[in-house]
Amino acid sequence: MIRPEEIKMSAEETGKWGMVIDQDICTGCQACVAACAMENNLAFVGEEDSGYGRSMHWIRIERFWEGEYPEVKMTPQQPMLCQQCGHATCEPVCPAFATVHSQAEQLNLQVYNRCVGTRYCANNCPYQVRAFNWRDYKRPEPLPNQLNPDVTVRRMGVMEKCTFCIQRIFKAQDKAKSEGREVMDGEFTTACAQACPANAIVFGRVDQPESLVSQLMHKGHGVKHLEELGTLPNVTYFKGG
Amino acid sequence: MTEQFSRRDFLKLAGLGAATTAILTGCGPASRYVKREPYQQMPEYNSVGQSTYYATTCRECAAGCGLVVRTYQGRAIKTEGNANHPLNLGKTCARGQATLQGLYNPDRVQAPSTGDWDSAIQIVADTLKNYKPGEVAFLMGMAPDHLFDLVTDLANATGMNAPVRFGALGMFEARATLSKAAENLFGQAGLPWFDLGGAQAVFSFGANFLETWISPLPYTRGFVGLRAKETKIRGTFVQFEARMSATGAKADHWVPVRPGTEGLVALAIGKLVSELRGGAMPRVFSSVNPVEAAEAAGVELEALHHLAEMFVTFNVLAIPGGAALGQSNGLEIAEAVLALNALSDNFGKPGGVYLSALAPNQTEYNRPASAEEMASFVEKMKSGAIKALFVHGVNPVFELPASLGFKEALAGVEQVISFATFTDETAAAAKFVFPDHHGLESWGYQRVATGVSLPVLSGAQPVVSPFYDTRATADVLIAAAKLAGGAFATALPYADEVEFIQTRVSELMSEAAGSFSASDAATFMAYFQQYGGWYKNVEALIAPDGSSVLNGNVNAAEPEYAGEGEFFFVPFVSPTLAEAGANKPWLQELPDPTTTVMWNTWIEMNPETAHELGIANDDVVKVISEVGEVQAYVYLYPAIRPDTIAMPFGQGHTAYGQYAENRGVNPADLIAVRFNEAGDLAFAGMKVKVEKVSSAVSGVGLSRMESRMGVYGEALGEEH
Repeated sequence: MIRPEEIKMSAEETGKWGMVIDQDICTGCQACVAACAMENNLAFVGEEDSGYGRSMHWIRIERFWEGEYPEVKMTPQQPMLCQQCGHATCEPVCPAFATVHSQAEQLNLQVYNRCVGTRYCANNCPYQVRAFNWRDYKRPEPLPNQLNPDVTVRRMGVMEKCTFCIQRIFKAQDKAKSEGREVMDGEFTTACAQACPANAIVFGRVDQPESLVSQLMHKGHGVKHLEELGTLPNVTYFKGG
Repeated sequence: MTEQFSRRDFLKLAGLGAATTAILTGCGPASRYVKREPYQQMPEYNSVGQSTYYATTCRECAAGCGLVVRTYQGRAIKTEGNANHPLNLGKTCARGQATLQGLYNPDRVQAPSTGDWDSAIQIVADTLKNYKPGEVAFLMGMAPDHLFDLVTDLANATGMNAPVRFGALGMFEARATLSKAAENLFGQAGLPWFDLGGAQAVFSFGANFLETWISPLPYTRGFVGLRAKETKIRGTFVQFEARMSATGAKADHWVPVRPGTEGLVALAIGKLVSELRGGAMPRVFSSVNPVEAAEAAGVELEALHHLAEMFVTFNVLAIPGGAALGQSNGLEIAEAVLALNALSDNFGKPGGVYLSALAPNQTEYNRPASAEEMASFVEKMKSGAIKALFVHGVNPVFELPASLGFKEALAGVEQVISFATFTDETAAAAKFVFPDHHGLESWGYQRVATGVSLPVLSGAQPVVSPFYDTRATADVLIAAAKLAGGAFATALPYADEVEFIQTRVSELMSEAAGSFSASDAATFMAYFQQYGGWYKNVEALIAPDGSSVLNGNVNAAEPEYAGEGEFFFVPFVSPTLAEAGANKPWLQELPDPTTTVMWNTWIEMNPETAHELGIANDDVVKVISEVGEVQAYVYLYPAIRPDTIAMPFGQGHTAYGQYAENRGVNPADLIAVRFNEAGDLAFAGMKVKVEKVSSAVSGVGLSRMESRMGVYGEALGEEH
C-alpha cells in the first residue's frame, strides 16, 4: 500500500509497463477487442445487458463525431482500456483492498477473491474502463473448452478490468528467470497489441529508454488522457493527423 | 451421486475409463496416427502445464491468413497470427480471433443426419453413381482450395458439372466487375492489387479495404504505410461513397457522392487534372462535363477542383470497389476509376496498380461466381438439369438475394446433400447433412489470391482432434468414389484426404527459391505443416499493360435505379460479422466500428432527413423495395447522404444456431435481381420507400456501445 508521503505527483514519474497507441493508424476494426475477450475469458452478456452498458469489454474503441453533414468527420478511433495509472483513483476507494497497486509490476491489480462488489472503483474511474459482473453470464457447453487456463474465470458480483495481460508478463518473466536473463523488449506482448493488424498498439517497458514503447513515447506529440487529474496514466496516445 | 462409493469401486471405474479412452479416441491433433494415451505415457503434444502451438490457416474468410493456435491439453485456447506467414505477418482480424467460438460452438452439427458414417458414405456413393454425371453439381465456398481441387478432379474425370464457387463477400465486393474491368483495360484477366503503402495519396471509390474487402489485413498494412510520416509526408486518403463506411471514417476527405455517379466523378477529376496539366486531353476523359458530373453526383464543383489539384501535386492511387461497382453501370465505374491511375502513371509501379501474384499451384485467377452465374445455376436447378446437389462451405439460401429464388429452386432438387458444420439455412433445407470438421480440425491448403507479392500456398492442419462425430468432406468423397467404383474410383486414387494433399504439396518440391526445401516428400510435408504453408521467394506481382488506357472509351452515364421510392438503398457487409460470423457470440458483442451497435440490425438514416420525417433513434421503420420489405430500428447516422439509407448484411438468420437465429433482418431480402455488364448484382442501385411503424419505446431498441460512456447513470445519450 502507498502511504500519502510516498505519492509522487511529478510528471517525470514513470511506471514499469506501458503502452503507446497511435490513433492515426487505428482503423477501429475491433481485432483487439476480440483478442482481449479470447485471451482473458471475458463473458459475453447478450443484447439486453449490453444495451444497459453491462458488456464486459476490457478495451473498447471510442469514436466521436465532429461537424455536420457533409463536413462531418469521425474523430480518430481511440482504443480505451485501463490506463494502469501510477496514482489510480480506483485504488483508495476500495474498502476490501481488492484493487491495489503492485509495487513490483507498477500495475493496478484486481484481486477477484477479495472483491465484494461495491463498485466504488468503477464509479471513481475517470476512464470508465471497469466492467462489473452483474450476473453469472452463461457459457453453454462446449464453449468453456476455449477458456484460458492462465486466467481466472470471474463470477457474479466481481469487478474486472484490463490487466495488461499480467499472465503473459509473468510467463515471460518466469521463462527469462529460468534462462538466467532479463525479459527482452518485444519478447511478448499483450493480446490486443499482438492482434492489432495496424500495429497501432505497442506495449513494453516504459522505464527502459531503449525499448520501442519508450522511444515512441518520447517522440513528443503524445498525450495522456485526463493527465490533469494527476492519475499518472501509463498509456500514451498519438492523436494522429 | 447418492450411493456410497468405495475407493475400490472408484479405482475399478477409473481404470476402465482410462482403458476405453485409449482404445476409442483414435486421433491426436497434429497427426492422425498418434493415439491419446494415459498420462503415464504422455504424448508429446499433451504435457501438463505446457502449451503446444500449431500453425494452420484461418477459415473465417478465404483470404488465407496464417494462424498459430495455442493448445493446452488437447483444447484450442487462443489463435494468433502466424508471424512467418507472408500474408498477415502475425496479425489477425476480429473474426480470426473468434474462430474458437465456432470450434466450440454449442450449435455445431454433431453427427451425420443418417446417424452413422457408413450409411452416409453409401448415400454419397449412390448419388454419384445413380445420377447422370451432368445432373450432379457441387456448390462450394471460396475456401478451402484443396477440396475444390479434389472435386474438380472428380468432375473432370467423370463428366460431372465443374464445381461452382460463391460467397457473399465476393458478391458485395463485385469481384467479377473488378476483374472484368482490369481485363477490358489491360487485356489481361486477374485480380487487381493496389499498393497503398507506396502511394502518396489514395482516392478510394467505395472500396471498404479496411473492413472485409478482398484481403483486409494486407490492405490495413498498406494503409499504415500510406500514413507513415517518419521518413516521408503522411499520405492523404479520400473516400467517395454515399454512406461513410468504417474505411471512409479514416479518410481525410469524405466525399458523399450519389450512388452510381462514382464513374462520372472519376472521369471529371481526370478531365480537370488533364486541364491543369495542359497538353492534349486524353480521349477517355474528353466526353465528360465536370459541371454536369458534379451536379449529378451532388457535390460542389469546387470540391472536384480541389481534388484535381491534389491529384496534380501527389502521386494518387485510385481504387474502385464495393458498393460503387454494385450498380447497373458498375463496370464503367470500375474502368473509369482504374483509368485515373493512368494519370499517375502507376501501373505496375510502387504505389500503383498490379495484378495479383498467382499462387504456387495456380494457372489462372479463379474468381467467385457472379450473381448472374448464380442465377443461371438456379435456373438449372429449377429446370431439373441439376438433380443432385452437394453444398460445402457456403450458405446460398441466406447469402443470395431471396428474389433470386435459390430456396425455392433447392426445394425442387431431388437429392441435396450438405456438408455444413452448422445447421445454416441451406443445410436446414437439405435432405442430408454430413458435417465436415471445423476449420481448426481440418487438413487442407488455401491459395493466397492477393495481398502479397510472393506466390503463397497456405497450409492447414488439425490443431485439435475432432470434437464431434464429423468427417472431412474430402475423406467422405474419396470413400464414396471407391464405393461407386469405375471412373469415380480412378479419379480419386487416394487412401484419404491427407494423401491427396501430400500429393499436391509435394509437387512443389521441385520448385526453386522455395521458403523451405526437402529431399523427400514426408519431410517436405512436415515442414509444410510446421510453417503453415509454403511460399516462393520470387516477386510475382504482374505489371499490367496500361498503355492504351488513356485512349480508351469509358461511358460512365448515370445508372438506372431499380424500384421506386425516395431513398437510395446501400446494403454493406458488417465489418465485424461478415457473411458467417453471426453464430459466434463474441462477434455479436463487438460494437460495429461506426455505429457501435451490437447484436442487431439497424437502418442508418441522416438525422436531418429523419427529423423531417418525424423519425427518431430506435423508432421502428419498414423499408419497402420492389421485391420485399423488412423492419428494423433506425440509427441516426450523421455521415450518410440525406437521400440514402443503409443497412448492414450479416444478421437476419432463420437458422444457424442460437446466437444467430431470429436476430435482426437480412437486407438481401430487399435486393432485386438486376445485374451490371459484368454479371455482378446491382445491389446498391436501388430505390426504396421508408414507412414508420412505431415510435421508440423506453428500454427497447438497439444496444450501443456508445451508451457505455454513461454507464451507471444517464447515457450520454442520443448524441455522440
